[in-house]
Amino acid sequence: MKKSILLAAITLLWSVTLFAAGSQYSLRIDGLACPFCAYGIEKKLIRTEGVESVAFDLEKGVVKVKVGEGVVFTESQLKRLVGDAGFTLRSMSEQPL
Amino acid sequence: MRVPLFLLIATTLFLASCTWFPSVKEPPYKLVKTWGEYGDASGQFNEPTGIAVSGEELFVSDSRNARIQTFDFNGNFQRQFGKSGEGAGQLGRPMNLTVANNKLYVADYFNDRVQIYTLQGQFIRAIGKAGAGPGEFNAPGGVAVAENGDLFVADFYNQRVQQLDKNGSFIRQWGTSGETGVWAGEFNYPTDVAIAADGTFYVADGYNDRVQAFSPNGEVFHKWGGPLAMNIFGSFSGWFATVTGISVGPQGNVFVADFYNDRVQKFKPDGEFLNAFGLPAQEPTHTAIAVAVAKDGTVFVADYANHQIQKWRPSE
Repeated sequence: MKKSILLAAITLLWSVTLFAAGSQYSLRIDGLACPFCAYGIEKKLIRTEGVESVAFDLEKGVVKVKVGEGVVFTESQLKRLVGDAGFTLRSMSEQPL
Repeated sequence: MRVPLFLLIATTLFLASCTWFPSVKEPPYKLVKTWGEYGDASGQFNEPTGIAVSGEELFVSDSRNARIQTFDFNGNFQRQFGKSGEGAGQLGRPMNLTVANNKLYVADYFNDRVQIYTLQGQFIRAIGKAGAGPGEFNAPGGVAVAENGDLFVADFYNQRVQQLDKNGSFIRQWGTSGETGVWAGEFNYPTDVAIAADGTFYVADGYNDRVQAFSPNGEVFHKWGGPLAMNIFGSFSGWFATVTGISVGPQGNVFVADFYNDRVQKFKPDGEFLNAFGLPAQEPTHTAIAVAVAKDGTVFVADYANHQIQKWRPSE
C-alpha cells in the first residue's frame, strides 16, 4: 500500500513538473547572421505573451523559443510573428521541456 | 554608318565593367591592431554593433552587454555606461552611434528611441517612442546629427529615414512607412545615416545593398551599390551584401560597413569606389558591422563576429 502511494506521488510530481516546464519551439529561419535581423526577431518574440526566452543557434539557423506552462503556438501564429520581423519561417518543431 | 555588332557589345561590356567592376584606386589599408574578446568584463564585448569617434576617444556599442564602452586609440579601456533595461539611460541593444555637438547619440534598437548622453556618459534625454507615426520608431538602427541639431534617424522596421528637430519634433521623412522599395528615395530596412560637413547625408540602405546620397535640401542625387543600385548584391568592388553602417571621413569620403562581405568600402562623396579592407569571418557570422573614422584618417571597425575592434591605417 505504502509503495503504491509513493509511486502515485512520484508519478504525480513527475507529471506536474513536466507540465510546469513548458516547451521549446525550434524555428528554422534563413539570414540570422545579421544582428539587425536576429535582434528584430528576438525583440518580436520576447515581447510575445508566454515566451520566456529566445536563443539563437547560428550554425543551424535555428531560433529556440522557450514558452511557459500551457502556452501553445500554432504554426500560423509563429509564421506571422517571424514574418512581421521580416523573415520567412522555413520549418518548426516543438519539444516538451 | 553601321557599327559592327561585336564592337557594340565590346564597348557596352567595357563601359559596364568600368562602371560596375571598378578597380582599387589607392594603396591598401594596413591593419594596425585589434582588441577585445567575447565576455562582459571591461574591454570585452558581446556583439559590438556600433562605433563612433570623438577627439582621441572611441565609443563602442557593446550590444548584448547593453552598454557603451570607451577606449583610447590604442585600445585602452577608459570607462563604460548604461545597463540593460527600459528606463531612462538604460539600453536595449544599442546599435550605430554618432558623436555630435559634444554629445553621444545612441540608436536604442529594442527600446525604440534615440538616447543622448554627455561624452562622460551622463544621460541627457531620450527622443522618440515605439510606433509608426511621426517621431516614433520601430527599431532605430542609426542616427546622424546636423550642425543645427536636427536628427536623421534610420527607422529600420518602418522603412524610412526621419528628420526630427533637436527636441524630437517631426520635420519630414523619406520612404513610405512600412513599405520597402528599390527606387530612389525608397528603402529596404535602412540601418544608418551619416552627414557630411556640407549637409549632404548618406543612408545605409541595408537590404537594398546600396548607399543613397541626399542633397542638403533632401533630394536623392545619387545611389550606388551593384548594377543600377537596385538590390543586386555581390562581392565585387563597389557592390554590397547588406550595408550595416556608414561614416563620413575627414576628407568627405564615405566609409561603408559591408557586413556579409566582411569589409569596409571607401568611396568618394560622389560614390566613386576607392578602396576596400577587412578581416574574413568564419561562417555563419560576419565581421565589419560599423565604422568610424578619426581626424587623422585612422579607421576603426566594430567586428561583430570576433567581438573585437579593428584599427586600420591608410598606407603612408
